[in-house]
Amino acid sequence: MNNLSLSLDRFSMGFMVLPESRAAHTPKSDALVTRETDSDEDLLIAVGNRQDRIAFNTLFARFSNRIFAMGMKLTRNEQLAHDLVQEALLMVWQKAPLYDLDRGNAQGWIFTIARNRCFDMLRKARRQPACVSADDIWPLEGESGELSTSGETGFQSVELSQVEQYYGQLPEAQFAVIEQIYVFDRTHEEAAELLKIPLGTLKSRLRLGMEKLRTLVGVEQ
Amino acid sequence: MSAAVMFHPPKHQIQRFVEGELSAGMSVALSAHMEFCADCRRTAGAAEAELVAQWNAKEALQSPADLTGILDAITQQPQERANTPSTPVSRKLVVDDQVISLPRVLAQIASAGLNWKTVSNGIRSAKVDLDTDTTCEFIHMQPGSKAPQHSHRGNEVMLVLDGKFSDEMGEYGASDFVIRDPAHRHQPRTETGCICFSVLDSPLVFTEGWLRLWNPIGLALFQLTRWRRRKLI
Repeated sequence: MNNLSLSLDRFSMGFMVLPESRAAHTPKSDALVTRETDSDEDLLIAVGNRQDRIAFNTLFARFSNRIFAMGMKLTRNEQLAHDLVQEALLMVWQKAPLYDLDRGNAQGWIFTIARNRCFDMLRKARRQPACVSADDIWPLEGESGELSTSGETGFQSVELSQVEQYYGQLPEAQFAVIEQIYVFDRTHEEAAELLKIPLGTLKSRLRLGMEKLRTLVGVEQ
Repeated sequence: MSAAVMFHPPKHQIQRFVEGELSAGMSVALSAHMEFCADCRRTAGAAEAELVAQWNAKEALQSPADLTGILDAITQQPQERANTPSTPVSRKLVVDDQVISLPRVLAQIASAGLNWKTVSNGIRSAKVDLDTDTTCEFIHMQPGSKAPQHSHRGNEVMLVLDGKFSDEMGEYGASDFVIRDPAHRHQPRTETGCICFSVLDSPLVFTEGWLRLWNPIGLALFQLTRWRRRKLI
């Protein structure tokens, strides 16, 4: 294990900087405090990785008007548009840990959530049959993005030293994630926080990286 | 589904699909087509990126007085740490002795069970109730069958799921997205058999209680009957 991490040092340099520690829970009196200078992506990552309320308030302030406008356009009903703002932003909060940087920007991600929510709300309001939902119509690519347990066990049977030579062939982003999880033995949450990426991105990079490694090992054998 | 897709939805329709402005029935047809058409997926991706870039608030939302309350209520909810795996739905559709694989969204719809009814010689349809703006159905044409010539009031979309059919304007294979507007009179026929998903915009309203006839083929039968009656008189 030691050998392995040494040989990987050139990759790990950039990632060992610890982020400044932030309180996980912000007092409630801060409810309307915002962080105007952060990008949408940074805010979403903060919401997903550490339930950052101030970051969420900022997203709320930035997107509620836009979601309302979308709701008015699609439903032509003020009450429904109001409901949409609340329901869509609730979903942004709930799904933030699943946000994946590799699949697009935060605006696009929030847009998709709002549009899908609006589609389902409108169908419900019109009492249309529930046999199909927005998530069936606009599926997220690779939705079942979790690393399968069977795959993980399959990988463990391969010698680490054997795998070492393949690491260099991985894209750096995937390598960094695999290193955090398998070499430094960090939890997904810790690794996401260290690398400053959303948990969802970490999981998809881990899955892609492991798949690639498995293919490389398989090809060689 | 390996043959090249030749017929696609027009760009403006893909745009409206991405915006969420199409009916559920039409959205399902586009979604099913896109599962097999990388070109249209790219078009949709570009349209979505453009839409997101232009996404702004035309109408300002009056901040509700209890905004803090809403924020508190939301941030007290638990977050999802992992994707909830959706219940897998069988992609298989069995029609007579034929087994075909459905696009995901159609598999979801068909999972409730399909009720096939004979519409004319060699042609059966199974309606699915998706919304009140469209009439959607799976259509099965047996080899050598021919639909009566017909026209319709709204746009009709036929998404080919398996086999081939042809009409006066061409031949269509797997994943082709065939649009016929009200100006077209056409007569679909098939040599080798065909399974389609059909969406008809703006359902036809019959005042005479001919509810069974509100699909395109049904309309054709209705017109035929009317024409025969006129001849008798």
